[in-house]
Amino acid sequence: MTEPFQLQRRHFLKAAAGFAGASMLGVTPFRALAQATTFAPADRCFVFIYFGGGWDVLLGLDPRDPTVFTPERVSETRILPGYSLLSTDASFPETTVRPTQRPGGPIPAMEFGPAIGRLADHYDKLAVVRGIHMKTVAHEVGFRYFLTGKEPIGNAARGSSTATEIVGQMRPTVPVPSIAYGIESYNDRYPGYANALRVSRANDLILTLSPSPTNIDSEIEQQLVDLRGKTITCESELYDTRGLVGQYRQARSQMGTVLGNQLHKQFQLDFENNPMKDAAIDLRNDQRAAIRAQYNLPATGGVNYDSAAGRAALIAIALKQGISQCVSMNLVGGLDTHFGTQVAHATNQRSGWNALADLVDDLRKSAHPSGGTFLDHTTMLAFSEFSRTPLINGSGGRDHHISSSALLIGAGIKHNLVFGRAGDINMAPGVVDRKTGQPDPKGVNILPEDVIATVLASADLDYAITRTSPLEGLLSG
Amino acid sequence: MNVRPTVNLLCVLLPLMAAAACGGEPAAPKPRPAELEPLPDDHPSIEPLPDPELSGGHVGRAPRRITVAQLKSSIEVTTGRQWSKIDELAASLGRADYALVNAEATEPNLVFAKFLEDGAREVCLATADADLKESDASKRVLSPEVPADAKDLSKLDDASVRQNMVYLSTRFWGQPLDGGELDTWVSAYKNIATRAEAAKKKREAWGAICIALMTDPRFTTY
Repeated sequence: MTEPFQLQRRHFLKAAAGFAGASMLGVTPFRALAQATTFAPADRCFVFIYFGGGWDVLLGLDPRDPTVFTPERVSETRILPGYSLLSTDASFPETTVRPTQRPGGPIPAMEFGPAIGRLADHYDKLAVVRGIHMKTVAHEVGFRYFLTGKEPIGNAARGSSTATEIVGQMRPTVPVPSIAYGIESYNDRYPGYANALRVSRANDLILTLSPSPTNIDSEIEQQLVDLRGKTITCESELYDTRGLVGQYRQARSQMGTVLGNQLHKQFQLDFENNPMKDAAIDLRNDQRAAIRAQYNLPATGGVNYDSAAGRAALIAIALKQGISQCVSMNLVGGLDTHFGTQVAHATNQRSGWNALADLVDDLRKSAHPSGGTFLDHTTMLAFSEFSRTPLINGSGGRDHHISSSALLIGAGIKHNLVFGRAGDINMAPGVVDRKTGQPDPKGVNILPEDVIATVLASADLDYAITRTSPLEGLLSG
Repeated sequence: MNVRPTVNLLCVLLPLMAAAACGGEPAAPKPRPAELEPLPDDHPSIEPLPDPELSGGHVGRAPRRITVAQLKSSIEVTTGRQWSKIDELAASLGRADYALVNAEATEPNLVFAKFLEDGAREVCLATADADLKESDASKRVLSPEVPADAKDLSKLDDASVRQNMVYLSTRFWGQPLDGGELDTWVSAYKNIATRAEAAKKKREAWGAICIALMTDPRFTTY
């Protein structure tokens, strides 16, 4: 842990070199420091993907064969896959999906539901955890439980978000260590550097990284920097013994670094005019075209980052450009379908899986500066707050169900693996052997903290905060 | 029962009572210097605040960041105008919508710091601009203690700058600047004003001080 900290300080000092007199209270004279620093991608990255509203695992991660779980047996199984109800949209298969074996890849060891979309193609880089006991069917409790790996008190989150914990332990050298987009983030024990840049929409992220729309004279800006650097008094130090003001000062300092490096430009996918045929502009425009193509975004015109595909592209930019180490993203919503059709839920869920598939595809074919691909350096966790009932309700939808699944992808995780199992009656949370993930009457339930401990352990991080041990059978090391 | 004498009596008394109530000025209480009431003998003894050394280095409740609603009204109260983007950015600043987000976030993070900087610049420079057009000093928001006829803001006398700085810090933080910190702010103002005059950006003189006050932790926490 010592070396990353030294690197971080060195990096910070480098970024700070442009503004004499700037202090922890200060803000960079932004224009003066523009383009001062370049950033290397973090050696280990993490992505937390949230499917908002409670996903139907029958349609995605934990399917059931509709020829076995038939309507005639429903009183016995309490499970109705309902795949035939997708027949109004021919793009959905009406049965489970077995991935096509990749050339040179392993034989697929899993099946998915009809809404899995293109993600099935990446079966060889992922592990599915099934039969997780969420202990709740309340939205806030479920997603806060998975975000922190700690069961909330009432509906109040406990502890830090896992992304905060990772950044707190690893102290990465990137300028915005953690981004939380459309999702909550908590920090209960780390200094301000571990706080996520938390936004509710893409435009706010870009605004945060962009220079202020109201310019002031750069010398006056410098005077303000100096003034803010001098305002620490004994009284203010006493006031800040709990660190809130320190966090704010750190945020202002981080703002200086972020703005000085014009990070907003990295997220701009609008093409620049290039009448002088500048090679650098050509290169940037080529990169923008490649991102648009990779994520099926419009080839020309404006890009809507507030779609699942746009959000996936945003994650890739943040990681590959060395802006962030952790990105927590509400990738897709509209899954809380108590009413309506199975097609509506399946369509929303599939848009999330397809966007995630494009991201995985991008990361697995992009070289990381430290060797291997970006996916070799990235661990991803996809989760939802709970799943939906295995039976369809009177309104044609499904209600909240206590058992769920999760998806782990990339570094530190065994691939092409199913771990755990939900029961064949009412998809009850299963009891499994923690080492193998196989059903075991003497085993235990898999809980969200087990999955979070596994994510932390996948990067050799301290998982003591989860008060459990990792699911060893999921770890590649 | 004969009620007539009673009614007659009331007819006489009521106008007299009304005249007594409306006629004379009520006796105003005599002003007297503020003084603490002595504690009664049976008052329990006062326990001193715990020693910070024994309480993890702090006393009393933890400071909190202001909410979006508090920020909105603080800006309005201090400058008399509103930050045009505050509602648009409210969700990322931490406001709960009670549909998808049911808890107000008050983390003083990067997003809050950056957006507040943007908002302070917009509001403060607009306020300073309006002040420059106001000939009546008492109606100015950021420089009511500065002579209305001051042409060059970098040549204000020390006493006026100090007085105005104390006024502004009290207005923004509810706490006047004093001692060495006041000297620091006064000196900063002079440097800023000199540059603002030289660059012909007069509004940035008191405008920049307003930005510094509004982005100070004393404005954003309580």
